[in-house]
Amino acid sequence: MYTQADKRCLLPELVAHIQNGDCLAIGGGLSWREPMAALRELIRQNIKDLKLVGSAHGIDVDLLCGAGSVAASAESYVGFEQDFGMALNYRRACESGAVKVEDNCCYTLVQQLRAAIQGLPFMPIRSVQGTDFLKLHPEFKTMTCPFSGEQLVLVPALKPDVALIHAHYADEHGNLHIEGPPVADILFAKASKKVIVTVEAFISHQELASKGITIPYFYVTAACEVPYGAHPTSCYPRYAYDREHTKHYYQAAKSGDDGFRKDYLDPYVYECKDHAAYLSLIGGQTRLARLEQWNDGVDQWMQLYE
Amino acid sequence: MNKATKITSCTLGELMIYQIALSIEDGILAFHGFGSPLVQLALHLAKRFHAPNLVLVAGATYGINPTPAFLTPTTNDFAMNRGAECHLSIEELFDLAASGRLGRMFLSGLQIDRWGNMNVTRLGNDERLTLKLPGGGGGCNLSADAGHVTIWTAAHRSHADNLGRRRYRLVKRCDFVTSVGHRTADGLARAAMPYRGGGPDCIVTDLGVFGFNAEGHAELRFTYPDTNCELIAESTEFEFPVADNLSTAALPEPALIDFIRRLDPLKIHERELSQDDRVRTFELNSL
Repeated sequence: MYTQADKRCLLPELVAHIQNGDCLAIGGGLSWREPMAALRELIRQNIKDLKLVGSAHGIDVDLLCGAGSVAASAESYVGFEQDFGMALNYRRACESGAVKVEDNCCYTLVQQLRAAIQGLPFMPIRSVQGTDFLKLHPEFKTMTCPFSGEQLVLVPALKPDVALIHAHYADEHGNLHIEGPPVADILFAKASKKVIVTVEAFISHQELASKGITIPYFYVTAACEVPYGAHPTSCYPRYAYDREHTKHYYQAAKSGDDGFRKDYLDPYVYECKDHAAYLSLIGGQTRLARLEQWNDGVDQWMQLYE
Repeated sequence: MNKATKITSCTLGELMIYQIALSIEDGILAFHGFGSPLVQLALHLAKRFHAPNLVLVAGATYGINPTPAFLTPTTNDFAMNRGAECHLSIEELFDLAASGRLGRMFLSGLQIDRWGNMNVTRLGNDERLTLKLPGGGGGCNLSADAGHVTIWTAAHRSHADNLGRRRYRLVKRCDFVTSVGHRTADGLARAAMPYRGGGPDCIVTDLGVFGFNAEGHAELRFTYPDTNCELIAESTEFEFPVADNLSTAALPEPALIDFIRRLDPLKIHERELSQDDRVRTFELNSL
């Protein structure tokens, strides 16, 4: 239980809750509400050997793989869909053996988190047997159900060391409000030992309560205000996905490990002393205003994807 | 429809979207997952025309019955979720599947075998990983749980290299089984597993449409106006039976084609197709 009255802290302190070798659950999904500013800070702090767990992800996992922060990946998908295709840093890291491939599946992950949330050692599922995931996960067991006689797969409870989430709003006490799809964030928050959060803004408890509390404060270890903290992923309704920046990222990743270091990691991560420096580098208020204007009309919105 | 834009032909992408849509029953709950523009368009097409009672669950956002502003290249986007009637959580969608209430799911693979097993995880053997693929999301779970599965791929056609070697999409054996079909690679029947769902019932490709026979083996049912059995056999690593009533697949009506074009002004679905396949078109009155 995290009961302190004021959860607010600075970004370096927030990220310092993550230790080398931790099992890290990253919130959001695909190009939506990834805690990117916190991940850039994690890389600057040289936190290593992470084991990542999650459902469908993209630039967040790829960035950490490109920076050499990851030892194993148990995500269910890492890629850029039809936008850019394969996640190149992730792919290289898996193929070189730097990242151990422990791919998982969405419902398997959900059931493992639920077991942790309910204090049970495992949850049963019907699927997974008959696939090669059993080879990647020798910890999964099969048993004959004592009620139905069916063979079921048992997946053990998963309690990540840290869940890292980007939310829209928090109050000082750490209650969170997320607009739009929470993806697996609520499950991550309830199953993990620590929950660290960046938010677009702190608001009063009264205002937060009127919007609705997605995750109660006592799950939350610490929180930090980082406006545009999901950039270049989206944080609707505040701002859309920055496809142009992501394209630049992808081109850098395409040029190989050294090119990615030189064209992306150095300028956008290591040489940005903080998030404000990053925002200024990606085009400052002009760029951000464009992403915020998605709601001015369908044509304007569509232009962000051209 | 405006006369100036009278539609007299359809593209391969539009034909595939229509064929995928034809697999969707009215009144069921179906989910399109992510990274699948052909399927996303097929679900909206089905709901707008022949399956108005479809419970359409959008991939990634889990919004129900949205009316997208336009198709986006990334799935978890508010544009794809606009006007959603209500929302599921990730656990609720998968619980619906696990309890037998997801009528149909749509899955693809970089390798697809004769039984409908698929690989989107890795190429290479257990000792050596040669290509890490993005992974299957929830496909592994849903291939067992969904009532029926529509398989699709826009990369069936294989080209021989200088030495006559081919890398196939429809393969004899998957390097890794991410999602399950009708039998294991060793021949064990699906019925031996306590799955909820019935498995795949069609494979819609860039060359034709397969069904599955009583043994659970892929069987060619439809060719396209510019393909035939021989061409399809050349691009398929395993031998396959051909349906007695093999025929040419039906093309979509102009109103359906118009709907697809309006919903996908950025032509995101063409990104699933090869450059050559993007210019394949079929005259609507040619049949």
